[in-house]
Amino acid sequence: MSRRPDPADGGTPGSPGTLASALRKYATAALVSLRSRLAYPTAFAGSLLTFGLFVFVFSRIWSAVYSTQAEISGYDRAGMIWYFIVAEISIFGFSRFYSSLSEDLKGGQVAYLLARPYGFTAYHFSQAMGPALGDSLVLAGEGVLLGLLLGGPFPVTSALQGAALVLSLLLAACLQFFLQFAIAMTAFWIEENAAIFWIYQKLALILGTFLPLEFLPPGAAAAARWTPFPYLSWAPARMAVAWNFGDGLKILAAQAAWAAAAALLCRAVFAAGRGKITANGG
Amino acid sequence: MDRSGHGRPAAYLHFLAAAFSANLQAVAEYRISFLIQVFGMMLNNAAFAAFWAVLISRTGSVGGYGFTDVMVIWALTSTSFGIAHVLWGNVRSLGSIIQRGELDVYLLQPKDPFVNVLASRTIVSAWGDLAYGYLVLAFLPGTGPERLALFTLLALGGSLIFASVFSAAESLTFFLGNAGSLSQAVTEFLLSFSLYPETIFDPGMRWLFYTLLPSGFIAFVPLSVYRNLDWPLVPVLLAVAAVYAAGAYGLFRAGLRRYESGNQVGTRL
Repeated sequence: MSRRPDPADGGTPGSPGTLASALRKYATAALVSLRSRLAYPTAFAGSLLTFGLFVFVFSRIWSAVYSTQAEISGYDRAGMIWYFIVAEISIFGFSRFYSSLSEDLKGGQVAYLLARPYGFTAYHFSQAMGPALGDSLVLAGEGVLLGLLLGGPFPVTSALQGAALVLSLLLAACLQFFLQFAIAMTAFWIEENAAIFWIYQKLALILGTFLPLEFLPPGAAAAARWTPFPYLSWAPARMAVAWNFGDGLKILAAQAAWAAAAALLCRAVFAAGRGKITANGG
Repeated sequence: MDRSGHGRPAAYLHFLAAAFSANLQAVAEYRISFLIQVFGMMLNNAAFAAFWAVLISRTGSVGGYGFTDVMVIWALTSTSFGIAHVLWGNVRSLGSIIQRGELDVYLLQPKDPFVNVLASRTIVSAWGDLAYGYLVLAFLPGTGPERLALFTLLALGGSLIFASVFSAAESLTFFLGNAGSLSQAVTEFLLSFSLYPETIFDPGMRWLFYTLLPSGFIAFVPLSVYRNLDWPLVPVLLAVAAVYAAGAYGLFRAGLRRYESGNQVGTRL
C-alpha cells in the first residue's frame, strides 16, 4: 500500500500535483465559498450595520476629543477617523475564521475533511479567505463612504500607497487566519478554547484597533511591537493615514515575517494535534 | 387548567423565582462553559475600559466626561443589560419564537405568556455583564454601601427599560412577519448609545435618547443621580421604566391577537 501524501502539509493528495492544478483547486474552493456568501446578500446587513454604527460612534468620540486640540501623537481628527475605519475593516472582515474552524474540529468534521483530496490547512485557508475578502470589499465600500462623510478627504493619494495598503490588508488577513487556526486547533487538547480566542480578540482591539500604537504609553507600545497584534490592524491603518515609503516597507516586512511565523505555528499545532483524531465509521 | 395564579403579584414572584432557579440549575450543569462565558464577557468589557483609560490619560476628558464618569455609565449599562438577560433570557429571541409558532406552548400555560416566555431562559454570558458593573464600582473611588444600593436600584430600572425596548422590537414580528433586522438594529443602537458620553452626540439627535432609544434613562440620567446621590429622582426613573414596560406589554398583547398558531406540538418541563 502506497503512502498517501500528508494532507496536513497543504499538499495535493490524490492528484498528480502540479503547482498550477493545486492553485486551481484552492482558487475554486475560495470562489465556491465566496459565491455561497454572495447568494444571501442580506447576510451582509448585520456586519454593515454594526460596522457603520461603530464608525459613527467613534467619529463622534474623535470629534469631541479634537474639539480642544488639533493633533495627538501625529494624528488629527480626519486621520483618526480614517485610521479607525481601516483598522476595523481588518478586524470585522477577518475575525470569523476561528468559529468555523473550531466547529469543524469539535463537530468531528475534521475526520471527514482529512480524507478528502486536498490539504487540510490550504483548503481551510482558501475556503475562509474567499468570503472574508468579499466581506472586506463590501465593508471597504461602506468605510470609504462613511470616511468621506464623517472624516475628510480620502487619505490614499498615490498608487504606491494604495498598493501598500491592499498588500498590508492581505497580510493582515493571512496573519489573522493562521493565528486563529492555531487557536482553533488547541481544541485537540482543550475543548473549551473560546477563552483563548477572546483574549486574542481583545488584545487585537487594544493593541492598535481602537487606538494607534502611538497613543499607548511608550513602554506598552514598544512591548506591543514585539507581538503580532499590531500587525492585524495598526499596520494597514498606518499605511492609510501616515504613509511614507521607508516605514511602509519596514511594516510590510514585519507583517510578512509574522504571517510566515504564524503559518509555521499553525502547521506545528495541527501536526501535533492530528494524532488525537479518531474516526468511527460513518 | 389552573388559572388561580393569574394576576396575583405574589404568585408571579413565586413563579419568577422558580424560573430563575431552574435556569440557574440548567447553566450550572456546564460549569466550565458557564465560567468561561462569564469571564469572557467581563474581559470583553474590560478591553473598552483599557481604551478609555489610555484615551482619557491623553485628553483629560471626552465631551466633559472623565474616566470615572465613563466607567459609571459602562457599569450601569453593563449591569442593566446583564440583569435584563439573566432574568428575561428570551428577550431577544421572542421574534423567532413567534415566527416559528413556538408561542403555542406558553399560551396553554396558566401564567401570562409574555412573562412566561421571557422568563423561561437565561443567557449565560449576561452573568458576566451583570457582575462587571459591580467589579467596576469596586475599583472606583467613593463606592460605599449607599452608592451600591443606589446603583442596584438604578440598574434594576435600566434592566426593565432594556427588556421592554428589546421585547417591543421583537414583538413587531407579529405585525411585520420578520422583524429580525429591525430588532438587531434597535439592540445595537440602544447598547452603543448607552455606553458612550451623551455629549459626543449632536444635540439634534439627543431626543432619541429619551424616547425610542432611551439611553438617557439607562445611563445618562442615572449617572447624574449616582454622582449626586440624588435619591428623589430614583422613583421617577423607576416610574419611567414601568411606563416602558407597560408599553412593551401592550404591544405584545396587541400583536398576540394577530398570532396564528403553528400547530406545533411541544412540551415544557
